[in-house]
Amino acid sequence: MNHSHSKYLSNFTNWSEQKRFVNFTDKDADFLKLLHPFAVEYADSFVDRLYDHLILFSETKRFLGDEKMVSRLKLAQKAYFIDLTSGEYGEEYFKSRIKVGISHQRIGLPPRVYMSTYCHYMQLIIPQIYGNPAFDIETANSIFLALHKIINLDQELAISAYIHATDEVISRQTEEILEMSTPVIQIWEGVVAAPIIGMLDSGRTQQFMERLLETIVATNSPVALIDITGVPQIDTATAQHLIDTINAVKLLGSQVIITGVRPSIAQTLVHLGIDLSGILTRPTMAAGLKVALDQLSIKVIDSSKS
Amino acid sequence: MDVDSLSVIKLKNILLVTVPDDPGDDTIHELQTKVLFAIEKYQSKGLILDISNVNILDSFFARTISETTQMVALMGGQTVIAGMQPCVAITATELGLHLGKAISTLDVDRALDIFTDNFKLV
Repeated sequence: MNHSHSKYLSNFTNWSEQKRFVNFTDKDADFLKLLHPFAVEYADSFVDRLYDHLILFSETKRFLGDEKMVSRLKLAQKAYFIDLTSGEYGEEYFKSRIKVGISHQRIGLPPRVYMSTYCHYMQLIIPQIYGNPAFDIETANSIFLALHKIINLDQELAISAYIHATDEVISRQTEEILEMSTPVIQIWEGVVAAPIIGMLDSGRTQQFMERLLETIVATNSPVALIDITGVPQIDTATAQHLIDTINAVKLLGSQVIITGVRPSIAQTLVHLGIDLSGILTRPTMAAGLKVALDQLSIKVIDSSKS
Repeated sequence: MDVDSLSVIKLKNILLVTVPDDPGDDTIHELQTKVLFAIEKYQSKGLILDISNVNILDSFFARTISETTQMVALMGGQTVIAGMQPCVAITATELGLHLGKAISTLDVDRALDIFTDNFKLV
């Protein structure tokens, strides 16, 4: 996690660009600074009221834990509120925001809760802006807008961190599925079998080809059975990938037998005009294995019948 | 790579050549000439090119192999490529390189089997 964390930080370098995007200027920073004394003064009561609210809901309550945990969370929240009006919105600020997003994602806090907390915060602070005699209506409006912008930036960063973390899980799983779905096994001395499950796209072909070729060389097998029973459909691209694989195997000095050519696959191949003549094909893996053993001059005898 | 260190080994009626890793164009050319002269000299029936040390196959090398195969065939011999590395096979397929009429085998042992005629898979 720590590794991906730093990777995320390094990938995300357009903070100033992002600020420009929401039109956050130095003036906005100055307006937010006006709010700073109040933020410091009211931070404690804000945080208390927020947590009094959070504890009312079972969904948020379970994230709060025991007294000690709550007081630690409150401290962090307080620091955050004060930080929000510090007037400093550079690299450091932006890094700490991403960390907040990532740590929330890590404990499994739903983004919904994270977003609603901002809504709650706004409900608490807006009366403070507009009810303050020190600010005329124009200043109050400007402060409000600046606050809106910085919160929008914060949310954007945190949500990006959430999405990034989820994307990582997805890409890791995709990789695992990819590896699982292309096993290459030696089924006889000199024969390897590779059942393909699912569609064969170019990314998978590459991986499949590498694994098949390496296993052929490692087991010194002159025959390879590629079973396509688990391939739902075959199109010209899939067929081309198969032909490429067969050619690569041929270069090594082995022969490929395609097995599991079902009636529907045979129909599709002919209709698409894909020429597999010159490539040995068989309807089942068993039939393919028979051909393979035949070519290796191996005889399998049923001893009960002799 | 010193071209003089290339050796063409005569094994009964076959020639065996071990191709060094990353052969330069000169080496490849020299190899072809040496092989053809050796075939003429020994009346060899076949040529085994052991390329198990080769990690990179470029288009020039692939073409030379293809052409050498044709030349050897014209002189009455069969060429067998032995021991191609998986990464080389993948690259060759991706680049669409062809080795012409050369037969491939997994290793030199199997290449010898082809010439001793008791191996069915050709």
